[in-house]
Amino acid sequence: MSDWITITIDGKEIQARRGELLTEAAARAGIHIPVFCSHPKLDPLGACRMCLVEMEGRRGKMLVTACTTPVNDGMVFYYNSERARDARQGTLEVILANHPLDCPICDKGGECDLQDQAMEHGPGKSHYWEPKRHKEKNYPLSDLIVLDQERCILCWRCIRYLDEWEDKPQLGLFHRGSDSVIDKFPGTELDAYTSGNIIDLCPVGALTNRLARFQFRPWVLEHTNSICTHCGMGCNLRIDTRDFRVRRNVARENMAVNDAWICDKGRFANGFLFSEKRLTQPLARIDGELQPISWPEAIQRVVEGLKGVVEKEGPGAVGGIGSAKLSNEANYLLGKFMRALVGTNNIDFREGSALKAERRGVTSLQDARDADLIVIMGADPSEEMPVLANFLKRAARRRNAPVIVIHPRRIELTKYPGVHFHPLPGDEPALFDALTKAALQARGQAVPNWLADAEVSDEVKEAATLLVNAQNPFIIYGTDYAWGYGSASIVQALTNWIVASGHGDRLGFLHSQANAVGAADVGLLPDMLPGHQRLADELARMELEKLWGSKIPTQPGLGYSGMIASALGRIKALYIMGADPVGEKSSYAEKLEALDFLVVQDLFLTETAKLADVVLPAASYVESNGTFTNTERRVQAAAQAARAVGDSLPDWAILMHIARRYAPDQADFWRTSSAPAVFAEITRAVPQYAGMSWESLGERGQPWAWDALEVTRELAPYAKLEPAPLEKPFTFRLITGNLLWDEGNTFAATERMANLGHKAAWLHPDDAAGLDLREGDLIAVRSREASLELPLHISSRIQPGTVFVPFSLKDAPVGELFDEFGPRTTVAVYRA
Amino acid sequence: MNYEPVLTARIGVVDPACLHDYEAHGGFQALARAVELGPDRTVAQVEAAKLLGRGGAAFPAGIKWRAVHNAEGPKFVVANADESEPGTFKDRILMEKDPYALIEAVILAGYATGAGKGFIYVRGEYPRAYQRLRQAVARCYEAGYLGKDILGSGHEFHLELRRGAGAYICGEETALFESIEGKRGYPRLKPPFPTEAGLFGRPTLINNVESLVSVLPIVLRGPDWFNSIGPANSPGPKLYSLSGRVRKPGLVEAPMGVTLRELIEAHGGGVSGSGEFQAALVGGAAGTFLGPDQLDTPLDFHSLAKMGAALGSGAVIVFDTSVDMMQVLERIAAFFAHESCGKCYPCQLGTMRQRDIIQRMVAGQGRPGDLQLLRDIGQTMRDASICGLGQTASSAILSAFELQLT
Repeated sequence: MSDWITITIDGKEIQARRGELLTEAAARAGIHIPVFCSHPKLDPLGACRMCLVEMEGRRGKMLVTACTTPVNDGMVFYYNSERARDARQGTLEVILANHPLDCPICDKGGECDLQDQAMEHGPGKSHYWEPKRHKEKNYPLSDLIVLDQERCILCWRCIRYLDEWEDKPQLGLFHRGSDSVIDKFPGTELDAYTSGNIIDLCPVGALTNRLARFQFRPWVLEHTNSICTHCGMGCNLRIDTRDFRVRRNVARENMAVNDAWICDKGRFANGFLFSEKRLTQPLARIDGELQPISWPEAIQRVVEGLKGVVEKEGPGAVGGIGSAKLSNEANYLLGKFMRALVGTNNIDFREGSALKAERRGVTSLQDARDADLIVIMGADPSEEMPVLANFLKRAARRRNAPVIVIHPRRIELTKYPGVHFHPLPGDEPALFDALTKAALQARGQAVPNWLADAEVSDEVKEAATLLVNAQNPFIIYGTDYAWGYGSASIVQALTNWIVASGHGDRLGFLHSQANAVGAADVGLLPDMLPGHQRLADELARMELEKLWGSKIPTQPGLGYSGMIASALGRIKALYIMGADPVGEKSSYAEKLEALDFLVVQDLFLTETAKLADVVLPAASYVESNGTFTNTERRVQAAAQAARAVGDSLPDWAILMHIARRYAPDQADFWRTSSAPAVFAEITRAVPQYAGMSWESLGERGQPWAWDALEVTRELAPYAKLEPAPLEKPFTFRLITGNLLWDEGNTFAATERMANLGHKAAWLHPDDAAGLDLREGDLIAVRSREASLELPLHISSRIQPGTVFVPFSLKDAPVGELFDEFGPRTTVAVYRA
Repeated sequence: MNYEPVLTARIGVVDPACLHDYEAHGGFQALARAVELGPDRTVAQVEAAKLLGRGGAAFPAGIKWRAVHNAEGPKFVVANADESEPGTFKDRILMEKDPYALIEAVILAGYATGAGKGFIYVRGEYPRAYQRLRQAVARCYEAGYLGKDILGSGHEFHLELRRGAGAYICGEETALFESIEGKRGYPRLKPPFPTEAGLFGRPTLINNVESLVSVLPIVLRGPDWFNSIGPANSPGPKLYSLSGRVRKPGLVEAPMGVTLRELIEAHGGGVSGSGEFQAALVGGAAGTFLGPDQLDTPLDFHSLAKMGAALGSGAVIVFDTSVDMMQVLERIAAFFAHESCGKCYPCQLGTMRQRDIIQRMVAGQGRPGDLQLLRDIGQTMRDASICGLGQTASSAILSAFELQLT
């Protein structure tokens, strides 16, 4: 490429890219110019002056900072000249002059840029004599991060990260000269969701992890490549362990996925791994009580329990529920076990068949970064996928991508220019119809009769025109629109708009669960086989029957809620792995209690597990090998990093043991003895995974292609959505959604984060005033089904006439309220 | 002494509050002349005059004017009136006593460079200058010197005042931009230089008050006149702020290159105190000391640069033999430690260490090697600091030791 130019460093000619920074060009040639403030992910600052080199200029040689100097053809630099060396050494000496000598107890010791550079570039001996200055050594910036102001060398990386990536400039430099300190702005909090990345960025031990500090010396840690399973992004992690116990999570760079960032949930919320509440041994109901038993006994009981039901009621009386949080291996084997050995298609997971969504996830995460227009419908990336949200914010700020938001709440992304709509639950189809009509008109296409009445406002026209004219839009919708009552209509309505705009093939779905794509890929659905092949597809079925050595039933099974509802009817036994329906809706308990046999396999003794006949302790994903498929279809490996708690076993291993005992004559088809081997079998069952292997996934994972699954999207009329009636006393529309700081099992177990959850029901200030309610008042939210008592949070981020109750609140699961209108019901709100 | 003052001609003569008085004493004639000449030829006059920036850096003003003139709009003109260098008060007197001259010069600069908007950034400690300017700006709007179609030129120009809040660093031009933009005044990296990306990221002409005011006679009398004053390589009239131990301290306008001796004796009425000259600090705290052997040094940019000194802003602070120079150095060191903004390491730590060491020396606890240490710190600050503050924070102190004043 003509972009390659030649520069000279210390008399040696090297090739460089025109316009790249001298530090980058030099590094490629093996010259590692020392830096502190400079960071490849942050804008150049030139504050620390560590990277001074001499440059040949018009008026002789001058010292310049390599980290801020773009190179051009013919430029001549001297890195090793005496003047440059002296300048760097002098700079390092002044930095060290005030830096405390507490390396022996510093968390950064051993992985500290300052230590390394003092070693390589330092003067060896300081000639300063004055005492070191003193500042705050233990200054908490938040519940998660603590600042040692003495160690801080004021490189501004933390300040810049929060500004440039999070667009939340929550830290600044205060005071002047050598009194300068990093601090929060008065009266504000450091609460950015990806704030922990500043710990990774800090070149010294100034910013440390409050949950992990003083627990290890960095050089004794074992590093394991893993991924995060808190959401569907699949951010790459490095899990650091010592004595087989997790000590901390740090971000691992994967440019295709998370760049070099993870959110604070992924970094800090790992307390669940070593929670005292973890199940450590199998339990069985003996004399009405759950009591510890051995693994062989437990497996025997499971096999006998399931067989007993099959013999008495037939295989259709058994069902299996998996989880979008668990690995491909676990979900695949559960599906295989149910179909091949039990002989039923009653398999699903919570966000499985009920989700009226794109199974392919989003086009690609890179598309989010390259977008010239962002369209967000019924999703809140800031709360559901903070690292993706940062990519979107950056596209909005740096690429001037307009942001079109359609969401019941004024989500964070509405702070960027664009067009924002906040339709009330039930009004979405009308908005999408108007957008569809405006898009067709903008493209000069005929408007079908069923759209003739749609009313096109100026804002609708503006949004429609933006999308029609966009070259590279990133378009996603989320669970809020694709799950629950009426979602089929909403999804068709929004699909119509995107198709009418000419971008039908870019419509993506934001899967908020770690392995929602994978669980469907491996066929944990009542009517779909692995590889998104229809159950009715005989050829596909035959291929699988060959692989599995058994016939697959042809009758589609029951879905997640169908199985639970039928527990009072034809379903007599359930195998629930990693799901907690009772925790989500307590009235499910009476249904599950009616079962003849219930197996629960989990990390914790959940509300559901408390009802089980046999409880199987599962190892967490950190304690076993497994693969997960993120929302851009990238299959990634998470290697075992820690020793399993107690006698717990990996999900796949438990299923393998059960299957071998269940059908000894089929044992040839259940021989795999490791997760990578199970994955190898999956690549034969799932055409999209063909050619992959545990090894080939490597450190970056492998996505399956967007067009490896054919999806046809057409402009089509749809069933009219009948919203839940607003009638006294049910005069508020319920809205729900995920918040990052929830109170779910995996999050709440991290004690230090307990304060972060925000347990509340939200009302608009006008509604709160109308009901004479104040912030923090205890209110009741009552549906036709149930009632929840919650403290009130007043926020103008939601619309008048709506009440927002987030998912996963402790002791107040919003699912309790769901009636025949599901999450889109109407409720009464009053003082409790 | 037969030099007739030009820059200060109206000082003490006109009523600073009265626009008519200013007009009656030659006011707005330079602007009228510039409009006659047109922007391009006006800039050419500044270039031909070889005017070197009077704020301290002595950068050729014509280069800046031409660059901004050639740049695509929108662009800005900024008058740096954050006169913070210790011992410097020339701009204050210009603004207090002849405020319209600065305003005329800014309007003229806007016209010549094609900028539609100007700012005057006035030092926070100059309330009177600010009041005078504020009133004058209002009068200029009323009289049509500001606003649309200035003097029939078709050029529209608006002018706003900004006040500093007491930080020395905000006199540094890029920190000054940050301050105008509402941010904390930290210096930016250069390049890009202000003429490419200055205020609000746009091409910006930023000049010191005296530099701008000097343009008025250049346009009126022509560059040849300007070149006929002072040495050929740094011509023109110059304002010197004379203070310290002299009998008649004050503002002196003289041809560039007046000698230190002439300044002290002819203009300042001789050394006061002990009556015996010990040293003069030229260029303010960021400047250098000159000793008795250097009294005949011409005070112009090039002569001083040749001997490793600098004229800077033209501040001359005189010390007689009764002054304890170590205390002066302590004060200077404390000043820089206080004013260092903290953005870059060499300056924030260097100024602190420099102060600590000198304080220790003053307390009688000097150690062998202290002087070398101060030199090393000085070199680190000079070579490695981002901006002029750190680059010059050691020059006065090191020059005092060089002259063995202590």
